[in-house]
Amino acid sequence: MIRLSLIIVAISAYCFTNAADIDYNVKNIPKELLQNANAVKRNEKISFEVHSLTSTTYKQKYAFTILNEKGDRFATFLEYYDKLNKINSIEGSLYDGNGKLIKKLKSKEVIDLSAVDDISLIDDNRKKVHSFHHKVYPYTVEYEVEIKYYHTFYFPTWVTQEDEFVAVENSSFTIIHPEQYKVRYHQFNYKGEPKESTEKNIKSITWNISNTKAIKKEPYAPRWHELTTMVKVAPTDFQIENYKGDMSSWKEFGKFMYDLTKGRDVLPDNIKQQVKILTAQATSDVEKISILYHFLQKNTRYISIQLGLGGWQPFEATYVAKKGYGDCKALSNYMYSLLKEVGIKSHYALIKAGAFDNMIMPEFPSNQFNHAILCVPVKNDTIWLECTSQTNPFGYMGDFTGNRKALLITEEGGVVVNTKNYLKEDNLQIRKAVGKIIEDGSLQTSIETKYFSMQQDQLHKLINFLSKDKVKEILQADLGLPTYNIDHFKYTEKKNIKPEIQEDLELYVANYATITGKRLFITPNLLNKSTNKISSEDRVHDLCINYAYKDVDTIEYQIPAGYKTESVPQDIALVTKFGIYNSSIKFIEDKLIYTRTREQYSGRFSNKDYNDLVAYYNEIYKADRNKIVLVKSDQ
Amino acid sequence: MKKLTASVCMLICISVAYAQKNTNYKFSKLTREDLKAKVYSIDSNANAVILAEVGESHFVGNTKGWFSLSFKKRTRIHILNKNGYNQADIEIPLWTSGSAIEKLEELKAITYNLDNGTVTETKLEKNNVFTEKKSKNLTLKKFTLPNVKEGSIIDIEYIINSDFLQNLQPWSYQGSIPRLWSEYNVFMPEFFEYAFLSQGMQLYFINERKDNSNVFNVVDGNSTSASERFTLNAKVTHHRWVMKDMPALKEESYTSSIENYTSKIDFQLSAFRHPLKYKNIMSNWVEVATKLLDDEDFGKNLSTNNSWLSEVIKPLLEGAHTETEKAKRIFDYVRQNFTSTGYGSIYISQPLKNCLKTKSGRVSDINMLLTAMLRYANIQAEPIILSTKSNGFTYPLYPLLNRFNYVVALAETDGKTIFLDASRQNLGFGKLLPECYNGHARIISKKVPAIEMYSDSLKEKKLTVILIGNDEKGTWVGSIKQAPGYYESYRIRNKIDDKGSDEFFKELKKNIVSDISIKNEKIDSLKKVDLPVEITYDFAVNINNENIIYFNPLFGEGFQDNPFKSLERFYPVEMPYAMDNTIIATIEVPKGYEIDELPKSIRVSLNEQKEGMFEYLASHSNNIISLRTRVHMTRANFDPEEYEGLREFFNMIVSKQKEQIVFKKKTTQP
Repeated sequence: MIRLSLIIVAISAYCFTNAADIDYNVKNIPKELLQNANAVKRNEKISFEVHSLTSTTYKQKYAFTILNEKGDRFATFLEYYDKLNKINSIEGSLYDGNGKLIKKLKSKEVIDLSAVDDISLIDDNRKKVHSFHHKVYPYTVEYEVEIKYYHTFYFPTWVTQEDEFVAVENSSFTIIHPEQYKVRYHQFNYKGEPKESTEKNIKSITWNISNTKAIKKEPYAPRWHELTTMVKVAPTDFQIENYKGDMSSWKEFGKFMYDLTKGRDVLPDNIKQQVKILTAQATSDVEKISILYHFLQKNTRYISIQLGLGGWQPFEATYVAKKGYGDCKALSNYMYSLLKEVGIKSHYALIKAGAFDNMIMPEFPSNQFNHAILCVPVKNDTIWLECTSQTNPFGYMGDFTGNRKALLITEEGGVVVNTKNYLKEDNLQIRKAVGKIIEDGSLQTSIETKYFSMQQDQLHKLINFLSKDKVKEILQADLGLPTYNIDHFKYTEKKNIKPEIQEDLELYVANYATITGKRLFITPNLLNKSTNKISSEDRVHDLCINYAYKDVDTIEYQIPAGYKTESVPQDIALVTKFGIYNSSIKFIEDKLIYTRTREQYSGRFSNKDYNDLVAYYNEIYKADRNKIVLVKSDQ
Repeated sequence: MKKLTASVCMLICISVAYAQKNTNYKFSKLTREDLKAKVYSIDSNANAVILAEVGESHFVGNTKGWFSLSFKKRTRIHILNKNGYNQADIEIPLWTSGSAIEKLEELKAITYNLDNGTVTETKLEKNNVFTEKKSKNLTLKKFTLPNVKEGSIIDIEYIINSDFLQNLQPWSYQGSIPRLWSEYNVFMPEFFEYAFLSQGMQLYFINERKDNSNVFNVVDGNSTSASERFTLNAKVTHHRWVMKDMPALKEESYTSSIENYTSKIDFQLSAFRHPLKYKNIMSNWVEVATKLLDDEDFGKNLSTNNSWLSEVIKPLLEGAHTETEKAKRIFDYVRQNFTSTGYGSIYISQPLKNCLKTKSGRVSDINMLLTAMLRYANIQAEPIILSTKSNGFTYPLYPLLNRFNYVVALAETDGKTIFLDASRQNLGFGKLLPECYNGHARIISKKVPAIEMYSDSLKEKKLTVILIGNDEKGTWVGSIKQAPGYYESYRIRNKIDDKGSDEFFKELKKNIVSDISIKNEKIDSLKKVDLPVEITYDFAVNINNENIIYFNPLFGEGFQDNPFKSLERFYPVEMPYAMDNTIIATIEVPKGYEIDELPKSIRVSLNEQKEGMFEYLASHSNNIISLRTRVHMTRANFDPEEYEGLREFFNMIVSKQKEQIVFKKKTTQP
């Protein structure tokens, strides 16, 4: 009996030391780390070991202390897997605020779900999810996971802070590999050099950080990797299924991609025939490209199927011809094949598509892409084709793929090139409104607006993807006027390389002018009031303004008879490093003429400039709401 | 005998008369004419049109000694433009649970195109049907039709064989695209009884039933000896429902849930009948409530002793005398200390004892625990089950528990009845969210009375008081004191919890367009969640010696925008509550100025019953302007016919509340 209890004591003592490996008591968190934090990463150890070209192991042990409800998302364990990797083990523990162990994860609590992404019909992705669903704050979760990969196509990135409002007490990252195998890395905001050591021909490199404060993102912030500490690692030689490659240069990486796409460009005879007939009358290459691009748009649609290596290798051209659908890779490859049929050479190109901050790092060759497009060099120019869209203007990239770098996949290997840049002069909005203000304060007006390039992106989606009724419904709700009727509207789209949409509106605005007794109050700026009002703050980071544009508004309204001006805002001319703004009001006979020009520059500005930007934007905000006061002259 | 022939004759006459109108849709071979580009008059904007969809549900004997459902569906869709392509992406959910399964069979899908004047067909290939295992019990069969172009017609046909008798497929006659012909046939054997739940604003084109008989063969493959087999000859009623020319559903603002207005039919298994052994599946409310009260996952804990509560409750009740005081202390304790992880079911997700320990749980857990605690303190309390607005209406007639998704508590204290929801930190004693006011709800007690909860009964009173005068330095200064309505206060509290009060005032400043500087901003009663909050701040108006001052006395507190944008309305307007919004301003004329113009006073009613009232009263005496404006609605819900009036009413409010006071510099300076 005595012996038994001794054993129990021994075991529980052992458990205790194990659990108390690290003391997760919240009191141990340095005070400065609690500032702005919803969660604190207490301790993280990641190791990534390359065993061979077809075998690597990722081990991660981490603990998050969750301080409040908004930190809860860091308490959920989530790992994705597919056919090229396997989650070997998951362990987890839950601790209360004092660091006392409450609960351990039971493997049956881990949920296994499919993780087919929103845009895909089907893919291999699955996920394992676990949560303790604890709600008494603060609390700490600790997870440990081991994942086995059967390829060396991509390596993990050490992201020390997943998002804003997360502080880090300790985090380390180690990559372990055979000495003769070369691994490359790129550090962001890491002070100093990593520790390296070699033992028995196995080399390890370790980075670590401690006591990093939570970041609060500022408006117009630079990209995340400029704000936090991060290390990217990438392979040299690599293998995925039976394909081998070398990633140490874009050239070599491109060669690998070229091999993946090679020989998948055979068209069935009926398509060859159609291509021949369609282009028979065409007189130039550009015309041929345009004809075939419209053929592609008419006869295919985007369906994403990502299974196995299909996540990287395009389906063959015959597949697309037969089914009439494919993903970005398959459709770009199909377009490539169509062009090849008429003797036009093009290049499959990889790109990171999406919002402005999704750009690749050209200085660090690695797998950074999420999309494929087609690049067609023509005389004195280059035409870029987005092959997944049935509506996209021919050769137009917009903010989805424009203004960034792409990797061309050529026979000789990969080449990094710039895509189209859309500048202030391209992104125009020119509006002219004429109309009549009636005695009761209402306005009857016709407005013609031309939108160019990136200024037409939203509208392009609206008129191509929504029914006319729906467009009217949106117009009827979104013009920023209290009560109005759309009497008529029309859109004319010119799908050029620099696309243009003309909008014609006939509008009746009830109470456009406010009447108080003998006075009439008019806000001449009808549809282009800035909504950007910001407040000055102590700015930490540089300012990044990504989007340059130019707006010109001219408004010409007849005012009701018998009124004369009582108060007219002065002309405004603002010239700053961020852009220029002009507005002026004139009266010619019974007409009120208002003009407004705004040019917004893009670029990177120092944090010291922030208050100037605040002043500039707020002045515009105010100027856009200036009122004219008219008074009845016979009273 | 003579009589009988007469009635047979009558029947024939009727069916002949029926045949006059087109009462069947035939999936005939497609011609060039069918595939030509066209605009359908039902909706010239449609991206795709369902030409026909016909469904059939049969009951069949299975080899597991019971019955299965066989659901057959055929759909023909004309894809008119690129935005209709997604109609060709099909997803069919299949459920499994233990040995009970659902299986997809005889799937056929064909795309028809017009290529150079000839009709071509492309078939879906088997290996392009993908299976996604979504979770343990749910599998999705997914496919997309090949060769879809503008103008394609697609034809999809399949059968789902299901072991789940409670899963008799429902049928929606409306969806995101128009439907020209939507037909559902259910062949209901007499030995199963289902409740039919149909809803919607459209009428049936055909609604008929015919009696036939059918033989059902049931085999028990699991039987230990030889297979057991029995045969059943039973009457089968063929129900046929057809709707024609159904427009697409349209989302509108101020609608609780578009689901509430969709034309659809749903079924609920209610009983087994002769020749099966009679068994009541769906009983009446009293029986359901009795069961619920005895259910471990619902009310069982309410009737037990629950001595584990004493440790918590005793200290809470110290010094509390009245029932209301006791109830309030218990409520506040739960509200402040428990975190809700969501809602969606009326059942509890954990034993109440556990919920007390972790201090977290679903809404049902928390409010059931609250009910148990109130009872432990000898206060009469019952759970109420309801369906939130976005979850759709419930039926008073049928006790369909899966339609309910929310639990609150009802308490009787000192002769008063109060509703309680302790799952929200910022929701006070006796308050429920507007989301809960969705018509029929049930008190789960022995007598299980129905209650009606309508948002018309919710009054949201807001009062803003503005004072402006000249200080000793001659600056024009003022203060604002505002008590928002209860639900607006609730939102403000949540926002401040989320972002902090600095951020709240930052946003408030952002919304003030006038040229004023704000100081001493303060918000009171933040923690007194039974009351509205109170916001106060002081401000100075910047006057730069202008000759004329134009001044909106409401400081952007009135209506800036008409909440009713669209010109027409299809479904009723459902606002969350009846609003009552008053602004009172007392303004001293700025020093050195005099009034040049004051907005005219008006008073307007929305209709003859005065269910909406707006007034704007302005007057002045001795250099003091008194202004009062109020928007008072007595209802929250309005019919589509009342929409135009409502829009006009708010248009008038917006324009009046924008009016300005004009001051002029005095010509004779003292």
